[in-house]
Amino acid sequence: MLKIAAYYSPTTLAETVTLLAEAGRTVIAGGTDLLVNPRYMVGVREVVDIRKLGLDYIRAENQALSIGAGATMRTVAMHPKIQALAGGILARGAAVCGSPNIRNMATVAGNVSSALPSADTPPSLLALDAQAVLVSIQGERVVPLNSFFLGPGKSVRERELIRELRVPLANFDTLRGGFYKISRTAEDISLVNAATTLIIEDGIITAARLVMGAVAPIPLRAVQAEEALTGQPPTEETFRRAAGIVCEEVRPISDHRASADYRRRMSGVAAVRALRQAAGLAPHGEEWHHA
Amino acid sequence: MPEIEVKLQVNGRTVTWRVLPGETLLEALHAHHLRGAKLICGTGDCCGCGVILNGRSINSCCMLAAQADDADLLTIEGLAQDGKLHPIQEAFAEEGAAQCGYCTPGFIMRAYAFLQEHPHPTEEEVRAALAGNICRCTGYVKPVAAVLRAAEAMRS
Repeated sequence: MLKIAAYYSPTTLAETVTLLAEAGRTVIAGGTDLLVNPRYMVGVREVVDIRKLGLDYIRAENQALSIGAGATMRTVAMHPKIQALAGGILARGAAVCGSPNIRNMATVAGNVSSALPSADTPPSLLALDAQAVLVSIQGERVVPLNSFFLGPGKSVRERELIRELRVPLANFDTLRGGFYKISRTAEDISLVNAATTLIIEDGIITAARLVMGAVAPIPLRAVQAEEALTGQPPTEETFRRAAGIVCEEVRPISDHRASADYRRRMSGVAAVRALRQAAGLAPHGEEWHHA
Repeated sequence: MPEIEVKLQVNGRTVTWRVLPGETLLEALHAHHLRGAKLICGTGDCCGCGVILNGRSINSCCMLAAQADDADLLTIEGLAQDGKLHPIQEAFAEEGAAQCGYCTPGFIMRAYAFLQEHPHPTEEEVRAALAGNICRCTGYVKPVAAVLRAAEAMRS
């Protein structure tokens, strides 16, 4: 029995944001983080369920993909457009999050809201330049995910709901991607994960994103490595150099899963493997077959 | 503490339960004498509390009972029909796919959801499908064999 004094299940967004305006309340969707991790219940007495708001959509419109707050890991992993975008890095992140039972309940928006550095989908979302659409009683604001995360379990979200995540599709035809997760077991959270997107024109990388998970207080854009990739040919040598920079950029901690030193070394490994996929030097995983 | 009334289908029967805001679905199941789904880790890591919610396998320990309003729920108790075990249950018995048996309902419910979608699974697919179900006795070989056997039985 959890210490929850009241449960609300609003059916409109207006009702939802009014409820959320009061302190001591938080959003529940899949519940797979909220109900099992005490950190999210600190100061929370009441929960507002958003599953009856009809936000379980995924749609492609206006050059962007909109992923509603209710869309589960499984639906995102199985979505053909998301599988086709940048080597399917977002579908793959969603497909390796937890177990099948978790993926049937947990939402991608919830994974972002929880703001854990080790989360499986934020690196891919960051590599895709995604934005979060936040709604509160004051209205709506669109925040690039790049400025959303503040620390472990902390984000810019305040008394707000992530209504949807938006992923730009402008470079759908040219964006290549790679994703690599290192974990102890199939079910465990990442020791290190890496997501990357590259645009390669005439044999030169013209745009690069390289995002590392579980090796800093937030999912980390390795900006110096991105700079080192840009303007270079997509070769093993380029990727190894970038990986060396990644190992300098990360700020891992030691815990019961791995030492900081191990995480630092594995950051380079995960980065190179993700980059090779993006350049076509290694095959893509299609983890969604087991989602 | 205000009670919440939830109306749902459980194993084909419409029921109305009065639940507390902080009550998990697993706790509500146990309170209503459906004790097949087990509390093992309580953190969503072992799938021992697995049930089928609207056709999908989920962990009942990390969902509120109040969230099950309007749901169609199937638990291990609802698998056998007219006193006859479900082919998956038969296969688990035939293969001896239980040691202490505590995690078995979770394995069977996960296998049930999986086989609905994959009637012709490979061994690799079965292993991936059961990857979230943890057995402290570490008996994984026989459950995999049982699911493959059940798939065959369900096809014929």
